[in-house]
Amino acid sequence: MEEYYLVCEDSLEGIFTGIYDAYLKKISHGQIHICVGEEENYRLFAVYETCVPDEKKTASVAKTIIREFGMETYLSVCRALASGEADKGEAVYKTVVTGFSMKNKKELMGNLSNPFVHRVFELARFTANEAHYHVEFLRFKELESGILYAEIGPKNNVLTFIVPHFADRLPLENFVIYDEKRDIYAVHPSKMDWYLVVGDEKRNQQERIFSQGEKKYSELFSCFFHTIAIKERASYGRQRNMLPLRYRQYMTEFQENKGSYGS
Amino acid sequence: MESGLTVRKREDKSVMEKLRILSDAAKYDVSCSSSGVGRRGDGTGIGNTLAAGICHSFGADGRCISLLKILFTNECIYDCKYCINRKSNDVPRASFTPDEICELTIQFYRRNYIEGLFLSSGILHSPTYTMELIYEAVYKLRTFYRFQGYIHVKAIPGADPGLVERMGLLADRMSVNLELPTAEGLKQLAPNKHRKSILWPMRQIQQGITQSKNEIMVYKHAPSFVPAGQSTQMIVGATRESDYQIMMVAENLYQKFDLKRVYYSAFISVNEDKDLPALPEGPPLLREHRLYQADWLLRFYGFEAKELLSEKKPNFNVLLDPKADWALGHLEQFPVEINKADYRSILRVPGIGVKSAQRIVRARRNGNLGFDDLKKIGVALKRALYFITCNGKMMYPTKLEENYIARNLIDGKEKLPFDRDGMTYRQLSLFDDVRAAGWKQMNA
Repeated sequence: MEEYYLVCEDSLEGIFTGIYDAYLKKISHGQIHICVGEEENYRLFAVYETCVPDEKKTASVAKTIIREFGMETYLSVCRALASGEADKGEAVYKTVVTGFSMKNKKELMGNLSNPFVHRVFELARFTANEAHYHVEFLRFKELESGILYAEIGPKNNVLTFIVPHFADRLPLENFVIYDEKRDIYAVHPSKMDWYLVVGDEKRNQQERIFSQGEKKYSELFSCFFHTIAIKERASYGRQRNMLPLRYRQYMTEFQENKGSYGS
Repeated sequence: MESGLTVRKREDKSVMEKLRILSDAAKYDVSCSSSGVGRRGDGTGIGNTLAAGICHSFGADGRCISLLKILFTNECIYDCKYCINRKSNDVPRASFTPDEICELTIQFYRRNYIEGLFLSSGILHSPTYTMELIYEAVYKLRTFYRFQGYIHVKAIPGADPGLVERMGLLADRMSVNLELPTAEGLKQLAPNKHRKSILWPMRQIQQGITQSKNEIMVYKHAPSFVPAGQSTQMIVGATRESDYQIMMVAENLYQKFDLKRVYYSAFISVNEDKDLPALPEGPPLLREHRLYQADWLLRFYGFEAKELLSEKKPNFNVLLDPKADWALGHLEQFPVEINKADYRSILRVPGIGVKSAQRIVRARRNGNLGFDDLKKIGVALKRALYFITCNGKMMYPTKLEENYIARNLIDGKEKLPFDRDGMTYRQLSLFDDVRAAGWKQMNA
């Protein structure tokens, strides 16, 4: 019995292509595995194949998932694939396989006693939660040019999940959200659609100069943040539960006022 | 002459000072939620709302910061004994202008600091005059600044009903504070406020909401009136009401006034007054916590107040949460078979919440569930295991006996502020079972 490992690119396209290729093999799904990116420990007696992302195959898999399992499953799969965990490809692949063996295919995500479905559920929940945290805790700073600029450093690739929220909320603003970990910018010009830009070194090294208004309002908000807490109820444990420390480095109210401001 | 002088003084204050004074004065209001209405932006202004609400930060007290919570002014003609802004207190006073409020809201909002505005106020001159000031600010924010985010305003008891109605068309949520659970309490501590004048705008808002919902059913674009519903708040521990009385009031408000939320606020002693209790142990936070737990049971778990408490047992158990406490009193209804029981019975098991119960009902369609599956689903087995069976078997052989389960449920890890409730640490002796002793004490 030969085991096949399909090595896919770490993206939605990559893994969907992998799933397509796995079905092309027409052998038992127990013998095929999908791994993401470079494999660190190669196994003996296993065949490794690299999948090249393919637009047509991706579209075909996406369409099949939506048609057979419904939108709920598709969204969960998309969220799971935005995760930073290595086993996401395998989990999604085996979830699809599980789905085809079920009587009521639309109920796939409810089948939590299946370990693969549960894993997809877990990964999707993590991404969704982190995306929601960013909707809550992301902070814009106004640059001297009037553009709003925010930095984030998420564990999962949540950028594309949060930008639509801000695009709907601030349609008239020019804003940029920068994911430091993945070096991607989301750019939203006033009254237009938003798009992604991959960063380059030159742009990253430029020092950002903030506006005078930025100084004023960040100080006002820090003041508000401190006075609104009730001394008699102080509970730093609860604060830490609700607002994990890793988000605070990006948040205005937890920063000393550093950075340079224009005149 | 004298009034002229105070006006000049007020103008001297910077926005920073005003914000410090007026947010400090507003912080005792509990409500902060930005939930209840989902509305997309229309592309011509700024803002949208999310039905689930968004918290933007958490203060040092662990409370969420969602709205810019400020008073319009902290000058007040009333003299409510529990309130920091009462007439007889000598505190720095300040007032915003409508423009300052709009500017702050918009600038905070576009930086994603806040989800909207929470505007309350002390009573300046008269309720109607105050309400007009608030209306002016909110009107400007909605029309001139085209702000489409969340706005929560206080309806001030005694203000002109016409004004309340116009206000409701601009605000997402309105609230009237009940302040104290009973009319006697109110009479004692808030001599200028009357139960009737508080309930009257509450009723008006309720009728407005119902009417607007009916209109929207017919005309899709009819203006919506207070779309996120109304809420209220009660102070707990300033007067002698029992938990039972408070829960009955809350239940009535939910059923008869269609309230979205009732908030409970542990009394914080900010003024010294002979009519107020001295609370050397700090505010009754544990009691407030139990009330909120019970409030959830009323709203999401299908419980009624009289199931949880009664005249004979008027207060919640300090050591156990209300659901576990109820389950221990109704052991005849347990254990519940996870693979067969209906949703409502599963929901009543301690350790199973709404989400877990929904997931269980869904997941068991694809085959029998075992304890491992329940753990994955998110059930707190530590508490649930005494009350459930999977395929006819309990997780461990356990006795279905009140004292035994209670001893095991009382959780050392749940950080109960014991010292705050008068129970202090004491020397352990060899034959003392502290957990059991505490439980017996509660039952006695």
